[in-house]
Amino acid sequence: MQDVLNATTLGSIYLLFALGMALVWGTIGILNFAHGATFMFAAFIGHLVTARVELPLLGVIAVAVLVGALISVLTQLLAFQPILKRAKNRHAAELRILIAGIGVAAIPLAIAQRQTRSTPFGLRSSYSPQVYEVFGLRITTTAIIIIVLGLVIGIGMTLWLRRSRHGLALRALGVDAETSAGMGVNRTTLAFGTMAVAGGLAGLAGALLTLQLGAIAPETGDQLIIKAFAIIVLGGLGSMAGTVIGAYVLAGAETLVLVMNWGTWVDAVSFGLIFLILLARPQGLLGRKEVRRT
Amino acid sequence: MNRGRMRTNVLAGLAVAAVFTTAACGGNDGGDNGGASGDNGDGGIAETITIAQVQDQTGPVSYAGVGAKEGAELAIEEINEEGFLGDGVTIEMEELDTGGEIERAASEMNKAMADPNVSAIIGPTQSQQAATVAPLVGRGEVPTVFTQAGSEGVVVNDWTFRATPPMESYYEPALDYLEEQGAETVSVLYNATFPTFALLGEDDVPAMAEERGLEVVQSLAVQMTTQDFAGQSQQIARENPDAVVMLLIAPQSVTAMKQLGTAGYEGQVSATSVQAAGNIAAAGDAANGLIYPVPYSTAMEAEGSVAFTEAFEEKFGKDANPYNADGYDAMWWIARAIEASGDSSREGIREGLEQVASEGYSGAMGDVTFEGNDARVPGALVRWEDGAETLVQ
Repeated sequence: MQDVLNATTLGSIYLLFALGMALVWGTIGILNFAHGATFMFAAFIGHLVTARVELPLLGVIAVAVLVGALISVLTQLLAFQPILKRAKNRHAAELRILIAGIGVAAIPLAIAQRQTRSTPFGLRSSYSPQVYEVFGLRITTTAIIIIVLGLVIGIGMTLWLRRSRHGLALRALGVDAETSAGMGVNRTTLAFGTMAVAGGLAGLAGALLTLQLGAIAPETGDQLIIKAFAIIVLGGLGSMAGTVIGAYVLAGAETLVLVMNWGTWVDAVSFGLIFLILLARPQGLLGRKEVRRT
Repeated sequence: MNRGRMRTNVLAGLAVAAVFTTAACGGNDGGDNGGASGDNGDGGIAETITIAQVQDQTGPVSYAGVGAKEGAELAIEEINEEGFLGDGVTIEMEELDTGGEIERAASEMNKAMADPNVSAIIGPTQSQQAATVAPLVGRGEVPTVFTQAGSEGVVVNDWTFRATPPMESYYEPALDYLEEQGAETVSVLYNATFPTFALLGEDDVPAMAEERGLEVVQSLAVQMTTQDFAGQSQQIARENPDAVVMLLIAPQSVTAMKQLGTAGYEGQVSATSVQAAGNIAAAGDAANGLIYPVPYSTAMEAEGSVAFTEAFEEKFGKDANPYNADGYDAMWWIARAIEASGDSSREGIREGLEQVASEGYSGAMGDVTFEGNDARVPGALVRWEDGAETLVQ
């Protein structure tokens, strides 16, 4: 049972990180490879702030969320939006957006590496995690927060996208941006709003993951972004519920490999499993097969 | 899957590959060094001697390269100010950033070797980079002193030297300490994709433990990408060995120390010199009591170590760390080599490095001896307590 609990915690960490990326990719169609750098830099700014002023947990989270949202909006304003405006069509913009995301990511990474010399950095907070032992299972308050927030935000976002008017508008953009714009959906406003939410989620993940792990390094975001990418593809692009399931499937596979003490095979087995699933369901676990009229 | 979505996924795959290969920005402030003599082989000492430092100034292990740079700068200042190589003779250093990438390390090494003004090179700190460029060094015939780079395949020909002793050569005091404390069982938690730790975790530590009658009850391998250690920590806590030998890179060590505590493990943890330079500080109180052997510590009392510690603190206003000591000793080794051979050409420096190595020297890391071209030091076992290192032995 402890291993199940560990897998749930790890899955929730992946989920918090992947949610923002999945939201942006699945709705406004932007595969944002600066998401990892946003996550890291939000935590890094939190580190700089808390090195001077000790903050409570909510204060640390607020700083990281605001910084994450700001970076994400700036990325949209200065990089993605100009590319979308100049591109002849959406397909032409895709590759440029990918490269722009990687380029944008290099800037905060270089700043953090230079400032920290790539040594780990943490967050100073008056919050002190407690360890609970229930029926022989050990869990920290930080892990509980991560699990609860991951599930609440993941499920909440799924329902919001399915049932609210704004959610419907966002999903419409993901299906056909031109047609939905013609029906009154303001793509630019929604894009900025979506990027702000995604950046805020990256910041939230940055703060909570740093508190959970004790410290992260400037390169931590790069490692997570590969896993997030796999989770989104596994779950099915455009399906937030799929992202939730994908995160826990990946974490479960990794934990299983660890329990078997095949630690160096974690990535090979986990990604191999994803590959097998995608062979059977190319659209992902909850992705829908699209029908295109000819 | 429609063509548009497939196209998106193909592009995304390309982007994944690109993320792995994206280089961080790097600096190169090499300058003109007129009058310098790199490979003229005329048997004299040039007025200006250029040493290239080809190490990570950016990237995930930049703390080692930047640390070595600071140590080397201090050494150059001392060498030039005291006229160690004669009146008017100065050493200059040209920095070339390897950016944490093997291919960039090879490229920058080729650039340095092709520059006739470069007399010697301080080579990459990462084992993979160093092992890649070591054969190039042999073909290019440029004396190269590596720092860190503790794996096999680095000191492989007459032109390769290593100023930092391999970790396994000074790890025994940690096992001695565990034995003295009455430990009987040990778990090994190691990063199997980091060559130095793989060697130590799979071969050296089990052998050292066996020699001392310690039983290795667990051996848990992780990858470079492992970030969460909750599962491994729980496994260790369940086994409850008397001690844990933890061979992990800097951010992993912080997390593992925190999560071992959370899992309820209360035994002794022994780590590596990677935890020096304050790399474990982010673990806070969870790191208290951690022990690790180091080739250099500010707590060391050898004459050369104390002199270096004080000079570094005066120049940079902060405590020195083992990476600073690496660069300092490497640069002084090169200077001593030039003095010994009376020749600042590449061949002269190579001969001088061998000569100095045969005699040993006293440096920041204490009394340094050599096995061939490879440094050996007694090292020191230190304990991390409330943000500072203290000598255990």
